[in-house]
Amino acid sequence: MSELTGKERVQKLFKKEPLDTMPCFSGQGAVVVQAIEEMGTQFAKIHTDARLMAQSAITSARLFNMDAVVIPYDMAAVAEAMGRGISLYENADGVIYPTVPNKWKTLDEIDIPKDYMSQGRLPMIDEAFKIIKEEAPDLAVGAWVLGPFTLAGQIMELDILLKGLKKNKDATAAFLDQVTQVTVDMVKHYQELDVDFISVRDMGSGTDLLSPRMWKTLVGPNLKKVFDAITCVPSVNHICGSTDMIIEMMHECGADALSVDQKNNVVATREKLGNDVLLFGNFDPYKTLTQLEDMKEVEAIIKQCIDNGLDAVWPGCDIWPDIRKENMETYVKTVKEYGKKASPAVGRI
Amino acid sequence: MSNQEEILAALKEAVVEYEEDDCAEAAQRALDEGVDPMIAVMDGLAAGMEEVGVLFDTNEYFVPEVLMCADALYKGLDILRPHITLDDDSPKASVVIGSIQGDVHDIGKNLVKMMFDVAGWDVHDLGRDVPLESFVEKQLDVNSDVLAMSAMMTTTMMGMKKVIAMVKEKNPECLIMLGGAPVTRDVANLFGADGYAESAGNAVSEGIKMIGRLREFQKGDIK
Repeated sequence: MSELTGKERVQKLFKKEPLDTMPCFSGQGAVVVQAIEEMGTQFAKIHTDARLMAQSAITSARLFNMDAVVIPYDMAAVAEAMGRGISLYENADGVIYPTVPNKWKTLDEIDIPKDYMSQGRLPMIDEAFKIIKEEAPDLAVGAWVLGPFTLAGQIMELDILLKGLKKNKDATAAFLDQVTQVTVDMVKHYQELDVDFISVRDMGSGTDLLSPRMWKTLVGPNLKKVFDAITCVPSVNHICGSTDMIIEMMHECGADALSVDQKNNVVATREKLGNDVLLFGNFDPYKTLTQLEDMKEVEAIIKQCIDNGLDAVWPGCDIWPDIRKENMETYVKTVKEYGKKASPAVGRI
Repeated sequence: MSNQEEILAALKEAVVEYEEDDCAEAAQRALDEGVDPMIAVMDGLAAGMEEVGVLFDTNEYFVPEVLMCADALYKGLDILRPHITLDDDSPKASVVIGSIQGDVHDIGKNLVKMMFDVAGWDVHDLGRDVPLESFVEKQLDVNSDVLAMSAMMTTTMMGMKKVIAMVKEKNPECLIMLGGAPVTRDVANLFGADGYAESAGNAVSEGIKMIGRLREFQKGDIK
């Protein structure tokens, strides 16, 4: 039997069908400077041009033999489309991700435009998806959206939002409902673009910030609405930071897979959820791919992830683009070789 | 319980229970009844925040509660601070603080800033998404004792290294403190920083612990 393509491998993973080996991919940003250099462009330019975005995603995957691409790279696109502006840092040295400069400061100011889907860079990102699907049919294509709570923190001041959860409960809950509808619309839209999976990242909702009780009432139900809306493609519920206290509730939201970062005790999580749940994670991307100089340490971290019971070894957050080439190569090689053994939820051919 | 003890307890409770009006009222009472405002700040407000730190570390309080406690603390501090007199022979320390370019988060930074405010330092808050050169310019301009930078995201922390090199070259005496979620002690060492606020939920916890250390320092437990 011929080797599976990246796309087939990822699709089979989500169906829990036997694989040749563990796919190596991410639901978080995975663009790397080596690809940007090869293209002769700059990090600041790949966020605003469909061709550069598509090309940098494909080149990053090809350079390191990854099985999927994921775009966009920054979390400001939807807030920008709502008129909150964008800082691109075009004149800054090195890698700085776009941010939102003009968040709403009070709940009263919030006025989400009806036509946001056609504003800002969102149409350009759609175009980038089309280019990727045409030019890299062998790679899985992943889309990601911010979960409602994190998106809310992108369009209004986070401290006001956090205090509002306690001080101004009803109005804040109503605002979160509104933002949930935006996330629902976004995932429905990406389903129509026929991507291979959608990762919903509510990275600002871990228990570093919120109590499990707040998560249960204000985050979980909204995430469930989002996953209920994803009917045609596999979905991933990703939260970085502390998730041990909310992992069961994350599972109840209904995604096809869960993704956690290095703070999660994966062995305990696996025990809580059982072997049938697809579980991704959970290495520290900055330390593992940028800092470590001994490849044996990189290999050990990746092997540990697999031994702990993960079905795919995902970075806990965006891969810091300025990776060390040999670290990235070791990550991918270790996943593909050590991942030949079955994972808890997925067998092998 | 003496009047002073009662007032200090009221200040502390108002911070812990995030009752802004009660905190302002207790602070005014402290002034009216002749409590040394420095004692009111340290053994009332700061002591309350220390307890908040314990509640945070034991998962009873989370960030929303801590932010509201900080708001209550500031209500009291705004009333008490103008009445604190400094000895002529103890010059006021100063800090330049901000979140690094590319980082629009400032919760951690604001909690660390609160520690300096409680201590009565001159605080030059540059806000968030601060261009690298603005840190350097401001530090050189005011010749602050400390430069405190925060980055909540891995993707923005690399800028710190550049600022440290620029400041250290021109002003090697300035102490540099880093904080923020992705900055580990190893990274701080690698970058050549002098201090490190172990961070995120941790900048929250660390900012509060600094207040505790400050109180110990004030009492002479730390030399």
